[in-house]
Amino acid sequence: MNTLAIVLVVGLTLFTIGLSIFSRRFTRTTADFYLAGRKVGSFANASAISGDYLSAASFLGVAGAIYASGLDGIWYAAGFAGGFMLVVLFIASPLRRFGEYTVADFAFGRFGSSRIRLITVIAVLLTSLFYMAPQMYGAGTTWQVLVGEGILGMNAYTSGVVVVAAIIAFYVSVGGMKGTTMNQIFQFWWLAFAMILVVIFAFGNGFDYPETLKAESQQPIVNTKAYSAGELVIPDDDGVTPYERAAEVMTGEEMVAVDQFIASGADGTIRVAYYATNKLHPERQALFSEPGHRYNGFDQFSMVLALVLGTAGLPHILNRYYTNPSGKAARRSTFWVLIFIGVFYIGSTIVGLAGLGIIREFLADGGTINADTVHGLLSKPDQLMPALGEILGGQWLMGIVSAGAFAAMFSTVGGLLIAAASALGHDVYEKYINKDASEAKRVAFGKTAVLAFAGVALLIGLSIPYFGLDQAYPALIAMMVTWAFSVGASAFVPMLLTGIWWKGTTEKGATAGMVVGLVGALTIIFLNILQQLGVIGHDGVLGFVGSLTYPVLFTFPLGLLTIVIVSKLDGQLPKNVDRIWMRIHGTASERYEKQYGLDKVGSMFSKAK
Amino acid sequence: MGDSKLHVVSTVTGDDTHVRHGDHVDTIQSVDIVFRAQRKLSFSYGAVFFAVTLSVPASSVWWTAWYSVEIWGGFTANYLFVGFFYFLFLWVMAWTYSQQADKLDERLLMMAEEITARAIDEGVQS
Repeated sequence: MNTLAIVLVVGLTLFTIGLSIFSRRFTRTTADFYLAGRKVGSFANASAISGDYLSAASFLGVAGAIYASGLDGIWYAAGFAGGFMLVVLFIASPLRRFGEYTVADFAFGRFGSSRIRLITVIAVLLTSLFYMAPQMYGAGTTWQVLVGEGILGMNAYTSGVVVVAAIIAFYVSVGGMKGTTMNQIFQFWWLAFAMILVVIFAFGNGFDYPETLKAESQQPIVNTKAYSAGELVIPDDDGVTPYERAAEVMTGEEMVAVDQFIASGADGTIRVAYYATNKLHPERQALFSEPGHRYNGFDQFSMVLALVLGTAGLPHILNRYYTNPSGKAARRSTFWVLIFIGVFYIGSTIVGLAGLGIIREFLADGGTINADTVHGLLSKPDQLMPALGEILGGQWLMGIVSAGAFAAMFSTVGGLLIAAASALGHDVYEKYINKDASEAKRVAFGKTAVLAFAGVALLIGLSIPYFGLDQAYPALIAMMVTWAFSVGASAFVPMLLTGIWWKGTTEKGATAGMVVGLVGALTIIFLNILQQLGVIGHDGVLGFVGSLTYPVLFTFPLGLLTIVIVSKLDGQLPKNVDRIWMRIHGTASERYEKQYGLDKVGSMFSKAK
Repeated sequence: MGDSKLHVVSTVTGDDTHVRHGDHVDTIQSVDIVFRAQRKLSFSYGAVFFAVTLSVPASSVWWTAWYSVEIWGGFTANYLFVGFFYFLFLWVMAWTYSQQADKLDERLLMMAEEITARAIDEGVQS
């Protein structure tokens, strides 16, 4: 058990709860609870959006992906950052000018139908649940590494999921959007602090970027994989066994352990190292500085498009733009987000490369770390950040990094809970169930919705190992994040882009496009899961569809095309389409607010009337 | 749509040809003119963004010198661009776009003031 690290994580948790209790006094109305009173300035909102966006997948996963895959891992980071370009160019400012609470509000206001509002609510809930799943899984696995044992009779994984779900449910329901915003700002800067510290310590340890990159690119990337004794001697399609591939890489001493494992006839598996192959240019070696370790030619394109389009379809990110005081501030927020996450991801690229040499040399010198290793490599690349923290700065730095991992989960799940609660509380309860509800009742319903969704997140986290998904996917966190991006990109982005930029979009067109995109993405994702679990094979149409890793490449254009075709055939524009147009693209409201100082920021802590 | 009253305390009036917030007026004509300019700006930047972004995997697939020739230390052009210059490209794009979009907002402001002044002159203020 890492006592100092646990103390720092507990400290972060107590601070988070304290901040939420502090912000409670400033939350009285639904605008406060869901939108922080629309008083969040560009810099503060950019910090909160960055905290919201940088989940465990970014903090632990991106550096780990670069450590394991080199340039293809960096391409993953570039896709994450590039998504905000689409947001700033096409969505941020018009969405804020429309001046509502949620994406579903936009759909209703733009197209004037309850049907599209309710479909949007369903899509928001599904996207949020898909995104919560990897965060809760990350909570369980991080607890396993950090604490190593369970509490109250639960195992370590379950303890992590339960504790994190309980903390987030409490702080979001107490603090609402103001508390969540303050927490996300703090949590982002903690993440950035942890990342920068690891980078500084790496350079202090003698890391030389160009020279290390040159050294690590002299021979192919080495990966690790666990095999049973029987699997080690089964030849692959090239007639080479995993044992023979391991012998090319591992030392004689390391192979002795493998031989002993095979000779013992023991059950279970042993992890071995082997040279990776180049999926993009099979005739070349898979080098750290070249593409091809992770993605073939098709996936080089489809992965980045999935991440770029998916970012613009994440409801918990889009909702944050309503907290800005103006469309101009929304644009400026996105610019700062690009700066923040760009610097963060550049840091990840340095950490991913530096980790290779530092960990290998540390282990070669007889050092030990609290993580499984083979041939000087981490068995689980997602453990790179805490492992590097431990080597470079001892328990202190490991504690700061571990607290960063929890901060990443807290901030992202907090944003997702607010998005899900606002979809149910604001878009369903306030609009259809109890239209005359008092402010107190509305806020109370929002808090109940937060608690309910935290319960759902808890169940999802616990069900992942139950259904064997953690065994079916080698990089489950990254995979599940991709699913969330795919659902959001397929359901929302075609509707948002056409709703904002094409006056001819009709309600029937937008509804049809959303349904086609949503159902298409869900179908491909579930077929992919069934294929990984061995329920369906790889042959035939089902097998082909199930093998698509990034459904957005098909479902986004399909949704867009559906909107255009159905709108053209339908031709029934909303009666007040010109007025809606002036609301999306006009600025009279903002000019009025500016004249009377209503656009001022910095009063997030004023008590609501 | 009534939620707009949460942040606009003025009486919002208007019809399908104009919207008034206090003394500030948007007309469908002025908004349409600025919308077209805004659309041109956003889609031009969007085209550049997608062209540059998709040229990276295209070069990774087809341009050997891009991904295999070291140009500084162990850096290939591909690695250097994706690991650093791509982020710089995003920052410059976002900043210049925001500046130009702000100017368009100001253009709408000037147009609106002219329209309001003309309406006062003609004595047809509603």
